[in-house]
Formats: sequence, structure tokens, C-alpha cells
Amino acid sequence: MTLPGIVVTGVRRSFGHVHAVRDVSLEARAGAVTGLVGPNGSGKTTLMLMLASLLAPDAGTIRIGGVDPLAEPAAARALLGWMPDALGAWPTLTARETLVMTGRLYGLDAEAARAGAARLLDEVGLGTLSDAPARVLSRGQKQRLGLARALVHDPRVLLLDEPASGLDPQARIDLRVLLRRLAAEGRTILISSHILSELEEVVDEAVFLVDGTTVSSERVAAAATRLRTWRIRLADRDATAAALPVAQTLGLDAALVPIDRRDLLVSFASDDDAASALAALVGAGLPVAEFAAATGLLEHTFLDLRGERS
Amino acid sequence: MNAARLWTIARLELLQRVRTVSWYVLLGVFALLLVGVTALAYLAYGGWGQSGPGIYSVVVCVTLLLVLLVSPTLSGNSINGDRDAATLAPVQVTLVTTGEILLGKFIAGWITGLAFAAVAAPFLVIATFAGGVDPLTVVVSLVVLVVETGVVAAIGVALSGLLARPLFSVATTYLVVAALTVGTPLGFGLIGAAVASEGTSITRSYETGPDGAPLCQDGVRFCGDTPDSFVCGEWQTGTYRVPRFDYVWWLLSANPFVILGDATPTRFTEYGYPDDLFGSLKLSVRSAQLPPSLEQRWDDCAPGVHLDSTQPTPREIIDETVPSWFVGLAVQVLLAGLLLWGAWARTRTPARSLPPGTRIA
Repeated sequence: MTLPGIVVTGVRRSFGHVHAVRDVSLEARAGAVTGLVGPNGSGKTTLMLMLASLLAPDAGTIRIGGVDPLAEPAAARALLGWMPDALGAWPTLTARETLVMTGRLYGLDAEAARAGAARLLDEVGLGTLSDAPARVLSRGQKQRLGLARALVHDPRVLLLDEPASGLDPQARIDLRVLLRRLAAEGRTILISSHILSELEEVVDEAVFLVDGTTVSSERVAAAATRLRTWRIRLADRDATAAALPVAQTLGLDAALVPIDRRDLLVSFASDDDAASALAALVGAGLPVAEFAAATGLLEHTFLDLRGERS
Repeated sequence: MNAARLWTIARLELLQRVRTVSWYVLLGVFALLLVGVTALAYLAYGGWGQSGPGIYSVVVCVTLLLVLLVSPTLSGNSINGDRDAATLAPVQVTLVTTGEILLGKFIAGWITGLAFAAVAAPFLVIATFAGGVDPLTVVVSLVVLVVETGVVAAIGVALSGLLARPLFSVATTYLVVAALTVGTPLGFGLIGAAVASEGTSITRSYETGPDGAPLCQDGVRFCGDTPDSFVCGEWQTGTYRVPRFDYVWWLLSANPFVILGDATPTRFTEYGYPDDLFGSLKLSVRSAQLPPSLEQRWDDCAPGVHLDSTQPTPREIIDETVPSWFVGLAVQVLLAGLLLWGAWARTRTPARSLPPGTRIA
């Protein structure tokens, strides 16, 4: 069974003269993590608010698991869990109370809310801080509490706005594992983030948002295939010494190969080109220690799309 | 409406309140004030028959005053304050409806206000020790106190949903409360005086001789003790302004203290006067309903003839005039209800329009 997840068609929303979201169409599959990528002010949070049934779109339709949040907000809310970018926690309530209260607000009975809270606190790694008031939690801990709060009612659809900000590396890895598991359980996950390298590791698909408009898949594909930079490092010599043999092997002008600290930066138009270049370098007997794309695919596409705009 | 969710919203508010120190400080200051007020009321009413009703009514009035002064701060930022702290939106995405949020916060505000009444309870008991307190007075005055606390809490919650800035909505709540408590007597006094009628005074005095004593008819030398034989002067007519408070007395009916006084049944002392502050309040408000007499006549030659010997007693005034507390209370409840409805429309999600300068989360 494949639930529709999130389907958005032609959504528009403005605040006075500010057109926060101009034309957004996207689809997020159930069982997959979809990334929402866009610069500051591109309308990500406004879109999230509309998906979370808090804000009505001026035009267009939204379906959360087949439900229109505008017509049936209660049905949509039962399906979705939302984690806002602004962390609002009741300062004097403990983490456990926060989750129990939220569970009660979702209509869980007292027993189920308590059991759920205990399970979620362990899941997001707040087990030892269960009875600390929210105001003493660090930013990262509040972030984890926010994630747990979004999961209280076992939602089918998760909307996460910048969930990784403020998390330490271990917590990010935990978050990634948790998100993969949630997706594997058949949930639809839409996640927005600025940290593209983070997003890259967890998302199955990405939706690009520029100036309140979703970028068409053709444009994304075109941007993704433009020149992309690889880092190359040889094991036995420093970058300056490596420039000449590498340039010769690849048929480049050694003087024009940029050097970044220990690495040489070489651009390739496609993955195929990069692969054959690596084969050539290895074939020439050069001790290649590192050969990696300098930017993630998301970051590359994102920067490219932004470059197009300006 | 779901009772469990409604109560969860109210509990959220109350839990946060009981965990702040300032809340207990406020209750402590309130208790200290009541100690002083009760002591002074004992001194003020002691010695004139049964002092219980007087002391009791003073404590209730002061409690109402303090509730009116404190409640706007406690409820006047409950919704926009949450929005500022980013705790409103996470509640709105749950299954809780906007009506439940508003009503839950209103109930919490009401209970908070009633906590002050609870602090006043021991002092009310002490007042009854002085004797003579009518159980009916206790019941009615406490019911009015409880309802008034609810009205102020509802107005505060509603304004916090209608206005974007917490500071502004708290100030507006204070203004509404001030309009009801101070504004109504002010309007009563000013409008009553402005629509004054013209009264006529008709006077006649006796002629006086060079020594200042009344001149007597028929050349009698001394007649100071028989006004009938004075030489009387001409009748003189003058006009003066008579404020028409009987036209505007209803303005007072929306005043919380007037409602408290007017609703509470009055008992009278042996001298015919109300035995507590509620009754005195009721008497003065009811007296305003009586039209003033527009003609005053005084004749020095026949003193006493025109004196109105039939001044109505306080009991007669109260019996003859109409009670207005239920009208005033209805107006207050209607106002609070309308404001709550407006707040509901403003806070509803999915939101179509947002108050200027706010964001939803």
C-alpha cells in the first residue's frame, strides 16, 4: 500500500505585498525522506506552515495523506507531526510533562500519553533529562524535545523544519538513523535544512525552492550536470608538486589548476568524466590518495540554481 | 469540545503559573493587604451594633478590587504571549480546537483569579465572627465575586487573542476594567451634570428692623416666637441647575461594585440604614433613580409648612426603585462573549489573514 504522502499543487501565499510562496508544486512519497532546499527567505517555513495546517494558502491545493488540511484540519492534524524552526517549549514544564501534555492534546488517554512519552524520551536521547525543566535544556536538547513532540501521536507524515540545527555530531547521526527508520516504517518525511551536506546523507529526493517557487525537475537535472569540482590529492607529494603530473595526465594546463591547501581542484562535467580521469591517473601510476567531489550533489545543484537566479 | 483536551489546556496554564515564584509573592502581598483591611474594618465598624456585615462587605469589596487589578496581568497576554514564546503553534497543530484553546485559557484565568478569593476566605470567616452576617448575603456576594472574576478573565484572554502585542493587550484589558469601574461613575457624574434641568426656587423672607429682629405686624415690639405676626416681604423667584442623575443612573449598572452591591440583599439597622457597605452602595445608586424635585419653596413667615416631611426612608427608596444588577451583568457577559468570539475568529487555523506584524510561529 502506498499512501500519497504529501501532494502540493500550485500553492501560493502572500502576506500583504510580500509574496512568500508564489507557485509551489511538490510531491513527497511515503516511505521516503524528501529534502526541502532553498536559500533564506525562499518560502520554506511559509510552505511548512501551510502543510502543517496553520496557514491557509491563497490558491492551490494541499493533500496530506489524501486529506485537505484546509477543509478537514482535524483529520490532517491527526496524520501529521510538525517540528517548527522556532523552538517553543513551556519553560517550567519538564521534558516528560511536555510530551505527556502534548499527547493529551492529541487525544491520547493519560496512560498511553505517559508510556509514549517515556519511549520517545529514550528514542531521542533525553532519557536522563526527563525530569529537568525545559528552560535548563540546551538548544540541541530542546531540538530533540521538539522532535519527540512531533512524534507523540505516531504521525504518518512528518514535517521537520531545520531539525538538525544545534545538534552535536553524535546527535546528528542519531537523528539520521531515526529518520531512516521512520521512513522505512512507511512514513512520509519532509525535511528542510540549510546544512546541505547533512541533508545529502539522509534524503532520498530533494525539492528546490527559489523565490517561493519550486524549481522544475528539468532545471534541477540541468544544474546537476553542469561542471562540478573534485578534490584530488596524491599520497607522496604536496599539492604544488602534484599539479604538473596530474595536469599532464589529464591534458590540462598545470598553471591553471587551482590549489586548495593540500588538494588540487579539478572540474568535470559529469560523473563519467570524473571516473575516466581517475582511471587515467591511476593508469599513469600516480598514487591517488583522495579523489572526491568537493561539494555534495545537493550543494552543487543549490549553488548552481542560485547562481542562475542572480 | 472535548473535556480532556480542554482541561489539558487549562492545566498547562495553571502548572506554569504555580511554578513561578512571583505568583506566590503576589498572593502573599494580597494576604498582607487583607490583614490590614480587616483590622481597619474592625476599627471602623466596631461599636455600632453588629459589625459583622460591615466588616464582611468591606473585605469582599477589597477582594473584588484586587482581583480587578491583578486579573488583567494574569490573563491579558495568554494567547499573544504564547505566540511570542512560540508555544502557541505547537498546540494549534494538535487536535485541540481554537475554541478549546480559548476556553481552556479562560478557565485557567478564572481559576487563577479565584485563588485570590481563596486567600480572602479566612478573612471572610473572621468577619463573620463579629456576628450578624446574613448567610444569603454571603452566598449572593460570593457568587457575584466569582462571576466578576470570570468576566475579567474572559476579557483578558479575548483581548490577548485579538491584539498582537502582549503589552498592548494587557494595557487594553486594564482600560476596559477601568472603563467599567471608574469610567461608569465618571460618565454618570459628567453626563448627569451636563443634562441638568432648571429648578425654580421661590422664597419669601420677613422684613427686619434696624436691630436685625423681625418687624412685627400692628406695631408689636417683639414677636420673634410667632412667625404669623411677621411683616412679610415679596415672594422672590430664582432658578438653579439640577443635575438629572435619574436620566443616567443606568450607566452605573455595568460597574462591578454596583453589581455586587445591587445584587446582594440588604438588611437594615435599627435606625433604618443599610447594615453593610453593599447596602450603602445600593442605596446611593438607587437614590439616583429618583427624579429631583424641580421646585423649592421656602417661606420665612411660615417656617416648616413647606418642609417635605415625607422624605422616603432608605428602605422605601430601595423598595420603590428597580434593581439593575442583572442588566449590568448581562452587558458585561455580552461584552466578554463578543470579544471572545472575535478572538476565536482571529486565532483560528488554518489562518487566512494574520494580525499585522505577527507571524504564526
